[in-house]
Amino acid sequence: MQVEQFHYDNKIVKQFAYATALWGVVGMIAGLWAAIQLYAPGAALNFAPTTFGRLRPVHTNAVIFAFVGNCIFTGVYYSLQRLCKARMFSDKLSKLHFWGWQGIIVAAALTLLLGFTTGKEYAELEWPIDIAITLIWVVFGINMFGTIIKRRERHLYVAIWFYIATWVTVALLHIVNSFEIPVSFFKSYSWFAGVQDALVQWWYGHNAVAFFLTTPILGLMYYFLPKAANRPVYSYRLSIIHFWALIFIYIWAGPHHLLYTALPDWAQSLGTVFSIMLLAPSWGGMLNGLFTLRGAWDKVREEPVLKFFVVAVTCYGMATFEGPMMSLKSVNAISHFTDWTIAHVHIGGLGWNGFMAFGMLYYLIPKMWGTSLYSKKMATNHFWLGTIGIIIYAVPLYWAGFTQAQMWKTFTEEGQLKFQFLETVTHIIPMYVTRSVGGALYLLGALIMVYNLYKTIKQGSFIANEAAEAAPLEKPVSHAKEYWHRWIEKKPMTMLVFSLIVVAIGGAIEMVPTFLVKSNVPTIASVQPYTPLELQGRDIYVREGCYTCHSQMVRPFRDEVARYGEYSKAGEFVYDHPFQWGSKRTGPDLAREGGKYPDSWHYNHMMDPRIMSPGSIMPSYSWLLDNKIDTSSTPAKIRAMQTLGVPYPAGYDKIANKDLITQANGIRISLKMDKIETPKDAEIVALIAYLQRLGKDIKATAKQ
Amino acid sequence: MRGIYKSFLTGAVLICAAPAAFAAGGGQPPKESSMYDPFVITMIIIMGILLLAIGILANVVMGAASYYYQKQKEREQQQKSGASAAAAVTTLLLLLFAAPVFAQSGDTTAEATATVQTVSSFGGLSPTAFYFIVGVIAAELLVIFVLLYQLRVFLGKEKLQQNLAIQPNKKPAVSFWDKMNKLKPIEQEESITLHHEYDGIRELDNRLPPWWLYGFYISIIFAGIYLWRYHVSHTAPLSGEELQIAMAKADEQKAAYLKKSANNVDENTVKMLTEAADLAGGAKVFTQNCAACHGKAGEGIVGPNLTDDYWLHGGSIKDVFKTVKYGWPEKGMRSWKDDLSPVQIAQVSSYIKSIHGTNPPNAKAQQGELYKEEGAGNTTQVDSTSNKVATATDK
Repeated sequence: MQVEQFHYDNKIVKQFAYATALWGVVGMIAGLWAAIQLYAPGAALNFAPTTFGRLRPVHTNAVIFAFVGNCIFTGVYYSLQRLCKARMFSDKLSKLHFWGWQGIIVAAALTLLLGFTTGKEYAELEWPIDIAITLIWVVFGINMFGTIIKRRERHLYVAIWFYIATWVTVALLHIVNSFEIPVSFFKSYSWFAGVQDALVQWWYGHNAVAFFLTTPILGLMYYFLPKAANRPVYSYRLSIIHFWALIFIYIWAGPHHLLYTALPDWAQSLGTVFSIMLLAPSWGGMLNGLFTLRGAWDKVREEPVLKFFVVAVTCYGMATFEGPMMSLKSVNAISHFTDWTIAHVHIGGLGWNGFMAFGMLYYLIPKMWGTSLYSKKMATNHFWLGTIGIIIYAVPLYWAGFTQAQMWKTFTEEGQLKFQFLETVTHIIPMYVTRSVGGALYLLGALIMVYNLYKTIKQGSFIANEAAEAAPLEKPVSHAKEYWHRWIEKKPMTMLVFSLIVVAIGGAIEMVPTFLVKSNVPTIASVQPYTPLELQGRDIYVREGCYTCHSQMVRPFRDEVARYGEYSKAGEFVYDHPFQWGSKRTGPDLAREGGKYPDSWHYNHMMDPRIMSPGSIMPSYSWLLDNKIDTSSTPAKIRAMQTLGVPYPAGYDKIANKDLITQANGIRISLKMDKIETPKDAEIVALIAYLQRLGKDIKATAKQ
Repeated sequence: MRGIYKSFLTGAVLICAAPAAFAAGGGQPPKESSMYDPFVITMIIIMGILLLAIGILANVVMGAASYYYQKQKEREQQQKSGASAAAAVTTLLLLLFAAPVFAQSGDTTAEATATVQTVSSFGGLSPTAFYFIVGVIAAELLVIFVLLYQLRVFLGKEKLQQNLAIQPNKKPAVSFWDKMNKLKPIEQEESITLHHEYDGIRELDNRLPPWWLYGFYISIIFAGIYLWRYHVSHTAPLSGEELQIAMAKADEQKAAYLKKSANNVDENTVKMLTEAADLAGGAKVFTQNCAACHGKAGEGIVGPNLTDDYWLHGGSIKDVFKTVKYGWPEKGMRSWKDDLSPVQIAQVSSYIKSIHGTNPPNAKAQQGELYKEEGAGNTTQVDSTSNKVATATDK
């Protein structure tokens, strides 16, 4: 048979690898900066784009979609060509994919810093960028499937199964969660409201972890780990079982982010039990990684690449053990809304994703430049800096989370809350300092890597097109005694469809009843739509990223009811496009903030939180005092809300601004009574209106 | 032979593990007062049982030794080889070594017990006696390990001899780790290598680790039971019910506490506190909670001036207490009853009353109605007039 000669495209791999390193460093700097602001609020520079509420989405989006995203593409473009024995389907599409993705990242960073956000975690990007992501993702898909179709290898290796499942599921998640109605070019409202929005968002959020941070990286592990260790993969049948079980079960687990919230109990329980069942399939991946190293542990001592992989896989195992435990209600009652969750995700992020990326880069760069690593010693130092960094990062945060939760829940014998919220924050500040030291060490390690790789590149010469040869595919010969799963490994399209079906089941079973069955979101008659001024205020709340530190969800616990008031009900959120329940309480819950303090308190507090609450770590929002409300957007916003089913009277968009001004004037007068002079169209007025409205509707029923 | 070895071992372990059970059930407390301490009893029982274990083990080792020695003799007769004689000598030497240790430990135990019985000062034991007992137990454990090791040596030798005789090429022992994970030894990897490779990556077809597989099954069973309990049999409380349970429990605790404490004060029973300690406590509460709105000196910022004669919601101690406790939410005064205890509210209310007429700088204009203390004398009158003048000038 004729052996065909062809070349692997290394140039695209090189570009993605550079982008990985660049965005990794950028994302980590953003994270470190945000972390420092938690104990030094002045580090926000009193400048809107650099306050925590805007910087945190930049950090999360940068590390997830820019750093890990580019790492995935680097690994996929390198391994897919070799596993398929074919060059990428189209160099043009590769190029479009690369530049398109980088363009999206830049646009994302700029818009987030400017405050253009949808207010849904890890999906903050506004609708034009959402569309761009969809298009580029399709480009990636065409390029990937094109390559798979023209492959010279009959069966698909397990890494490719993971790539396929990743591609199809991310597409599904992104499209469903990004359903939104545009108001202007940079403003949209989520199509879903309240409980439903929360369910969709955490179905998405959880599975972004699953299908962006886990399955593609598992695919990379299945390629790079056995290559680097030069050992056969431990168990083929384990690959099969853990792959299908993982993608089927993962998708159900989203509601574990919403335990004890207003989400219906049955959905919460599904989230819990599927998280528990997820433990074994997740560990299947860890076992297949670690046991592949059997007989190669002596190499681990020598080879930095394998060191990174071993710690990465171990961190994966730890995080996927911890996750199910945190899904148990009794543990979640402590871990949720505290720094415990932050520690947990960083075991996964720094340990699993970061170390896989570093190991892969250390493996790839010398290979593609036909040389060896510039300094193994430096890489080993990076390894230790990173590992110690992770420990110094995570341990204080576990401590902080646990301590703070205990303080929240402590009552005096008289039955009073023992600690004010602020006391529980100032108590854990030393832990915040330590964690930023850990993060800085980790970043330092990454910088050492960049230097090491730079020197490696300097000493080698780049092989843009790597020669390879393979026989073309023959007509398949039927093997009588073939493993049953071999059948689907020959059929990429069938694999795609099967993966889609498997991942669609869980989401559908949880979402459809929550949307259609009315008893899941019982109506509360006194809950009214927001007034135009409150709506504008809410948009400011979203823009400033208040949800990154303040929850709006009082859970049914004794301490929360005592601290904040009546626990939150599903029916209270029916006009919340998007929901703002939040996931972390760096500051207190705001679900029942309305009427707790006078207007002037909020005014002074926004100008400088430390005037009203000495020791507070909240940034100052002094620009809200000067910025003017954009009243020209009010009619469009009202119309959008009407489209979404919010019952404003017909034609209300035309008179909405009149109501807005009346209400604003009322607040202006109330501020004036307290010797505060402010124009009635200042943004602070709208924000005060919104904050004073929060959680009040339900109290109206109580009075009647 | 292996079976016997195993059963002996199990027996020994069981005996070692038993003390806890014995301590709970069959422990006879000695007459001395210090001996009533369950901790001491447990320690002594452990010592006794370990001693017993040593006795039994010693017997077993002796038996094994003689058995081995006999076998060795037979073999010698068969093979006429003198090589093993050395082993037999070693055995005897080992036994000789073991015996004194055994005897010694027996003695020390007796001594220790004696010491314990004489010392009765420490809450159970004096530190010396305690460490002594611990030392004895450690020594006993050491002896047991030595004996077990000897037993193993004999049995191992015997087995080796048998193996040598029967099958010279026996596979190496499978480690616990490999057994637990059903790992194929690396040497036999070829037999499970699959006949394909991808870019040089080969795949093995190892069996699923049993603990992993059963763990997966158990998690699925757990899921079934969980859903059943919460949503079918309703034997576990859903979040709303959990809150009711917690609140009921809290109310009970609170009621029980208030019943037996002086904290049982409310707006009907509160009296002006004049003790310096109470006022200092009130001042502290005031700085932490009230100063943000009412000013550090009560001059009023967002909230009204608390030092003048004018009150929005009444100026008696009872009224102030009520205002602090329940708040006037629609006017911006929040309720503090969940943050402050009744005594704290009484303290802070008294403190507020105590700063009346202090005329702080930057005082806020009067709000509300003039309030006169019941039975107030002239002094108050004068004060309030000057106050009025001051506010007027401020304006």
